[in-house]
Amino acid sequence: MLSIKNLSASINNKEILKGVNINIKPGELHAIMGPNGSGKSTLANVLSGREGYKVSGELKYQGKNLNEISIDERAQKGIFLAFQYPTEIPGVNTRNFLKTSFNKVRKAQGKKELDALSFLKILKEKSNELGMDEKMLSRQLNVGFSGGEKKKNEILQMKILEPNLVILDETDSGLDIDALKIVADGVNSSRNDKKSFLVITHYQRLLNFIKPDFVHVLADGKIVKSGTSELAIQLEKTGYKGIN
Amino acid sequence: MLNFKINLNEIDKIGKFSKEEKDFRLKNLNYFNNVGFPNKKQEDWKFSDLREIVSKNFSKLNIKSSEQEKSKINFIKDFEHNYIVVINGRLTVSDFRFEENDKIKLKSFTNNDFADRKENNPLINLNHALSDKGFFLEIEENYKFKKILVIYNLFTNDLNEIILNSKNKIKIGKNSELHTLNLIINQSEKNFFNNVYENVVLEKAAILKNICVQNNKSSGYFHKYSKHELSNASNLTTFIFPSGLKFNKLDLEFNLNGENCECNLQSASFLNKIDHQEIKTRVNHNSPNCKSYQKVKNVLDSESKGIYQGKIFVKDVAQKTDAYQLSKAILLSERSEFDSKPELEIYADDVKCSHGSSSGSLDKDSIYYLMTRGLSENESVELLVNGFLSEVIESIKSDSMKNFLKKKLADQLNGYKKN
Ligand SMILES: Nc1ncnc2c1ncn2[C@@H]1O[C@H](COP(=O)(O)OP(=O)(O)OP(=O)(O)O)[C@@H](O)[C@H]1O
Ligand SMILES: [Mg+2]
Repeated sequence: MLSIKNLSASINNKEILKGVNINIKPGELHAIMGPNGSGKSTLANVLSGREGYKVSGELKYQGKNLNEISIDERAQKGIFLAFQYPTEIPGVNTRNFLKTSFNKVRKAQGKKELDALSFLKILKEKSNELGMDEKMLSRQLNVGFSGGEKKKNEILQMKILEPNLVILDETDSGLDIDALKIVADGVNSSRNDKKSFLVITHYQRLLNFIKPDFVHVLADGKIVKSGTSELAIQLEKTGYKGIN
Repeated sequence: MLNFKINLNEIDKIGKFSKEEKDFRLKNLNYFNNVGFPNKKQEDWKFSDLREIVSKNFSKLNIKSSEQEKSKINFIKDFEHNYIVVINGRLTVSDFRFEENDKIKLKSFTNNDFADRKENNPLINLNHALSDKGFFLEIEENYKFKKILVIYNLFTNDLNEIILNSKNKIKIGKNSELHTLNLIINQSEKNFFNNVYENVVLEKAAILKNICVQNNKSSGYFHKYSKHELSNASNLTTFIFPSGLKFNKLDLEFNLNGENCECNLQSASFLNKIDHQEIKTRVNHNSPNCKSYQKVKNVLDSESKGIYQGKIFVKDVAQKTDAYQLSKAILLSERSEFDSKPELEIYADDVKCSHGSSSGSLDKDSIYYLMTRGLSENESVELLVNGFLSEVIESIKSDSMKNFLKKKLADQLNGYKKN
């Protein structure tokens, strides 16, 4: 699904990723942990196609080179990034935005666009599953949403867009215990042998709910250790100083 | 360079006038001819050098021509309404089918105020000298309109190198209420100049809600001076949605003469190509306990230029004034320009006055976020611009009007292409 080979990225002449290697197969869920500032969000941004980075190394998604593909095309091809800090966008109605995005991605994938009514049905179902208040969908996109509400809105988009590769950047941070469970259920229910996940988190707690196949530790722009879910449990005890 | 002095005997071509009126017109034409079209040396015109604009784009300016009096109109089907049709500034037909007709007076405008005032704006002198059309609408006391009045302002396709001067007056009686939609429909593809003088009078506790929409882009050059007089407890709301013209200047004066009156002005514009648009306001708080609110939003692309000059004047007696002014602009192109000049002149001590102004480019993080959801860059910009401008539309109460205006805005932005 995704193969990252010797990936380096720098911004403003500062090297942040310094040769990252990860290989994710269809159906796998990988977790990335690591200290603040180690480059986790940068990795997520680079995967989404964000501009402004000087990138070298190899990025392959479904066998195709990602480097030349624009942000929107990556999304249309099924890459989804749930933001650590979702952007507040004044003036844009959440529901309308979701519909535009949904149909845009569908159209690009050669599927039929849905009319307002059919879409609203799907939206209602998915937002109910997440226990979201429907009134929120009438508001401006993310504007004034609480931290947890923003995260749920990201997961809602994940559920609606049905991507192949999901990158969750600290989606668990800021969620209360119930919300964490709901979000984890959301992830688990969309797991299948075709979809892959890259889950960035600081907390082993999340990984109790979402079982990772692999755990990687990113420190100072490099993967310094990889293992199974045992690694997360060990980290919880020893901290990042305890590895190597 | 052309000399745009206007021959005094042009006045005779417009019509036959009493001695008093003729003198008034001559005097004003002399004022105009002394100054000519204003250029940027004049403070009020420092951002809009009209002299340059006119001499670049016009080889002559006819005063009188035999332009059409009839034209086909696509009446709005989105909501029921009364209407007035004004063609090239001239009142033609009207229909007040939803109202009590004896409460409404409508006629062609005839000026009978020949007082000699030295106007600061030479285009007003020009209008005083040459105006030969327009309408006068008067609503009696205690009458609330049941349906909106749409004023179809049509400009026909045979207008070419001509200047139209018209005067309109709207007077709303005590406790009466009128909602209007001023729709400007332009069919001419040639250059012409439209110079309007407007006088709006609100008597005690009268309400006027006015929405002004330019239906399409055109080659018109528009100047409108509009003077509003508000009596006790009256309430005026104006929304302006221009389409972007090669020249469009709105010079708006609001006189809050009675206590407890309120005026509210909001505008949203999307300008591109070489559009040039200025909104200049002067709000005179002449009485205590009045409220004024202004919000002007502009999005500028290509080489367009937008200007907002807003002055709030608070007289010494106007205690408890609450005045607010906000200007926000988004520049989509490095070649576009936005100038804003807020001014406060306050002589009372117990007042609340605030103004703010911001301009900058679109938020890059927002574009990035939308693109990660599959929208192209152009679509993202379009969505953000639409969101920025439609905020003004959101504050309109009527749903059918809201939808009508949103459609107009969407048409304007449709297929936005980043240049
Ligand atoms: N535009 C930028 N210019 C300079 N430095 C940057 C820029 N963006 C990020 N950085 C730096 O890159 C480093 C990695 O940032 P990143 O956001 O990827 O960390 P992270 O691992 O996600 O941290 P956290 O766990 O706190 O979310 C940080 O030191 C950050 O300050
Ligand atoms: Mg981060």
